[in-house]
Amino acid sequence: MSRDEQMAKAGRFVLGLMEGLEAQSFEAEMQADPALAAMVGKLAKTMQALDDTAEPAAIPKRMWDKIETRIAALPQEAPVAAGNVVAFDRAGGKPRRTVSPWRFAAMAATAVLALGLGYLAGARLAAPPEPVAFAVLLNESDAMPGAIVQAYADDSVMLRPLRGFDVPDGKILQVWTLPDRETGPVSLGTLSRQAATRLQGPDLPLPHEGQLYEITLEPSPGSPTGRPTGPILVKGYARFSPSS
Amino acid sequence: MPQETMLDQTPDGLMLAVARGDRSALARLFETEAGRLIAIARRIVRRQDLAEEAVQDGFVSAWQSAARFDPQRGTARAWLTTIVRNRALNLIRNDARLEFHDAEDVAAIGDRAADAMAAMNQLSDRDALKSCLGELDEPKRQAILLCYVTGLDHGEVAATMKAPLGTVKSWIRRGVIALQECLS
Repeated sequence: MSRDEQMAKAGRFVLGLMEGLEAQSFEAEMQADPALAAMVGKLAKTMQALDDTAEPAAIPKRMWDKIETRIAALPQEAPVAAGNVVAFDRAGGKPRRTVSPWRFAAMAATAVLALGLGYLAGARLAAPPEPVAFAVLLNESDAMPGAIVQAYADDSVMLRPLRGFDVPDGKILQVWTLPDRETGPVSLGTLSRQAATRLQGPDLPLPHEGQLYEITLEPSPGSPTGRPTGPILVKGYARFSPSS
Repeated sequence: MPQETMLDQTPDGLMLAVARGDRSALARLFETEAGRLIAIARRIVRRQDLAEEAVQDGFVSAWQSAARFDPQRGTARAWLTTIVRNRALNLIRNDARLEFHDAEDVAAIGDRAADAMAAMNQLSDRDALKSCLGELDEPKRQAILLCYVTGLDHGEVAATMKAPLGTVKSWIRRGVIALQECLS
């Protein structure tokens, strides 16, 4: 790689213009080439002067409480000996050595994913394939559509709210499906905000025609029993588009 | 002597304490850094709730991955900033981006350009970055600032600057090379 090409890539990496496979392969190049890593590190450090110009915002009350709740039961990665940092590869979960500080930051940003917290799942996945089934979830009382579920073959679903739900403090929206009576309701995850959200459900058979999906209101951070305990806000049944 | 006074209260010292499992050290880092990090994330995600989400997720990641922090490789503030920036970029590079793009009007795009330029203008005159950015042609400078400060991608920079995509890619490529030549 010519020096210009290196500088161009370092620039795109630091500007946040590299994604997915390209970013991963560039991170691998940095691991193999300390001079390249240093070039990127220098540019990133220089550019952070721009971050420091941001006028600090007010910190919302209770924001720390939410973080404290989330880390309360969250184990930390084991300490590692200096100079022998082991990162977990997202795909394989195998420990491997890495030296790049950029890898640290990238891995830190995805570390939550590795532990399988559903509401962050998919944050760094590539564009999804076609859904295998759809469900329109209706409001129980007036049968108005409240949300659309697109279910994918990889056990993930994309959930799009079609209206705002009233979520009191201390409550959270939780998404469920009923693969069959014997299995019972299975949680697909919770919605931390009311926006289109991709959730990674557990390993389940492909959805079948008529499979039930519903959203209930549960105590935050999710049903304490692993089964729906709160009121059903909307529910609907899986349908396949005629072409599929 | 109360143990409190023994603790290194600098961000780096606090982050090392977090790596030893000290939640109160993370709480103190949050107090001193969260306001700045929310502001940085907000320039990228353009929404208060998403900015708070990026910072919240960032502190959770920092807790989990604290053992990876190595003060010899960079400061705790820089480390936290990189984590939060990545999280903010991930948030807007997903479906959420589509939604707020639909709602985004001309004024909001103007805000981005203004934020990007204000960030450069607020740099210290002694900062080499400021003088090196100043040496770039206006379009290259603006494209680089829009990407870094407000998290736009090539296509969004093209739309904001009303320039062809290929031209924008070339501005950014030549701009980052010239910037690094100037800084070295």
